[in-house]
Amino acid sequence: MNNKKVFVFGIDCFEPSLVFDEWRKELPNLSSLMEQGAWGKMESTLPPITVPAWTSMMTSKDPGQLGFYGFRNRKSYGYEELYFANGAYVKEKTLWQILSRNRLTSIVLSVPQSYPPKPINGIMAGCFLTPDKSGVWTYPESVAKEIDFAAGGDYIIDVKEFRTDNKDELLKQIYEMTKRRFMVVRDFVKSKEWDFFVFVEMGVDRIHHAFWRYHDKNHRLYEKGHKYEFAIRDYYIYLDNEIGSVLKMLDDDTVVFVVSDHGAQTMVGAICVNEFFRKEEMLKLKTEPQKQQKLKTADIDWKKTLCWGEGGYYSRIFMNVEGREPEGIIPKNEYEKVRDQIKEKLENLGDEKGNPIGTKVYKPEEIYRDVKNIPPDLIVFFGNLNWRSAGSVGGGKIHTFENDTGPDDANHAQYGLFIMKGKGVKA
Amino acid sequence: MENKVTIKIPKPLYEKLKVSIEGSGFSSVTEFVVYVLRDLVSHQEISKESSNLSAKEIEAIRKRLKSMGYF
Repeated sequence: MNNKKVFVFGIDCFEPSLVFDEWRKELPNLSSLMEQGAWGKMESTLPPITVPAWTSMMTSKDPGQLGFYGFRNRKSYGYEELYFANGAYVKEKTLWQILSRNRLTSIVLSVPQSYPPKPINGIMAGCFLTPDKSGVWTYPESVAKEIDFAAGGDYIIDVKEFRTDNKDELLKQIYEMTKRRFMVVRDFVKSKEWDFFVFVEMGVDRIHHAFWRYHDKNHRLYEKGHKYEFAIRDYYIYLDNEIGSVLKMLDDDTVVFVVSDHGAQTMVGAICVNEFFRKEEMLKLKTEPQKQQKLKTADIDWKKTLCWGEGGYYSRIFMNVEGREPEGIIPKNEYEKVRDQIKEKLENLGDEKGNPIGTKVYKPEEIYRDVKNIPPDLIVFFGNLNWRSAGSVGGGKIHTFENDTGPDDANHAQYGLFIMKGKGVKA
Repeated sequence: MENKVTIKIPKPLYEKLKVSIEGSGFSSVTEFVVYVLRDLVSHQEISKESSNLSAKEIEAIRKRLKSMGYF
């Protein structure tokens, strides 16, 4: 009988430079794993976003093969709202489905896109895309009570209010969420049968977005000596300690992984991509907005519009193509020419002073092995993700330093990390 | 039980499956067979049942993702 097991610590947004360099000495458990095993940066998906990155990791398929290119995707070439790619849209086999078919038992806790939970040989708890715990969020359904009990009464799926100025409360919530998740992990490691155990902790991602300005000396809002200056470091130390408490429970036959889906970097500001398109006369609105507001497709004058963009940590550009979109105007035989023009314009867009920022623009069919469902026409990383994208229109400014969706300090970075330790893994 | 049907499989196959699920986490051959069949079907099409979230659920997710800066 093979007793080999695999345990995966999935830490959303765990930043390699902080773990491997800056705080290595202060993270004894992670350093010890590194000394005993293999480690390095791990390149994320394009885009490096929680969805599709975790599912890509758990299926070995890229976003094009998975058929979803971010949290929200186009259902058709119409102008309707985008849909959310939750677990129901994952058609490729996940690691735990392959293991289940091979009669091995898995415990899967809060891996993004595991809501709604699917049958598994083992236990599954929904991820942060769970609307709330009043519905069915675990498989089997009956294990929900056990998870809550092991979590001291309430397993916290995600922090409640992320974009808040009440940082003390947010910090408290992040610690509480992590503490309770590790309580369940320790309980289930001991009390359940498993061959494969994976869980994803969201706390690092949340703390980066909310506290990065206090940590990163290069952030424009950095203040030396602020009371939150070490908030991220202290949380990393706390997390290292929690990881250590689980490592103590694992035997030598268990292969251990620590992985992240992407890293983090300072966010300089946001680029209002649709304001840019308006200035370039590629996007026309029916009426001039009186203030900065959400772009509604109903307000677009399609007969005079070549393209429009979505906001987020990165941007997606959709083109208005004749015979494809309901009121498309780009002739099909000019699609590539127009797409290249848009690409070039975006690549040449500098910062507010016109300095180059190194924006990267990708064509889906050039970066994915397959292009299922409806991909964006272009995928844009402003300033290689140093800048986010704002989808709103109005106000006339292309560069903004006030986020249109509330305070946020960090953007995602292309490289996450991995550490792997176990028999047969060379140090 | 009225929402279940009986499917017959060859006895030697049943016996083989019985041995193969020992210590596997599946408590019966039926449970394993149902898992495999469900797994097979779930890859054919998106489950209508699970992708049809209620408007309230979609709104809750939308709000959360937006607040986190995903769009």
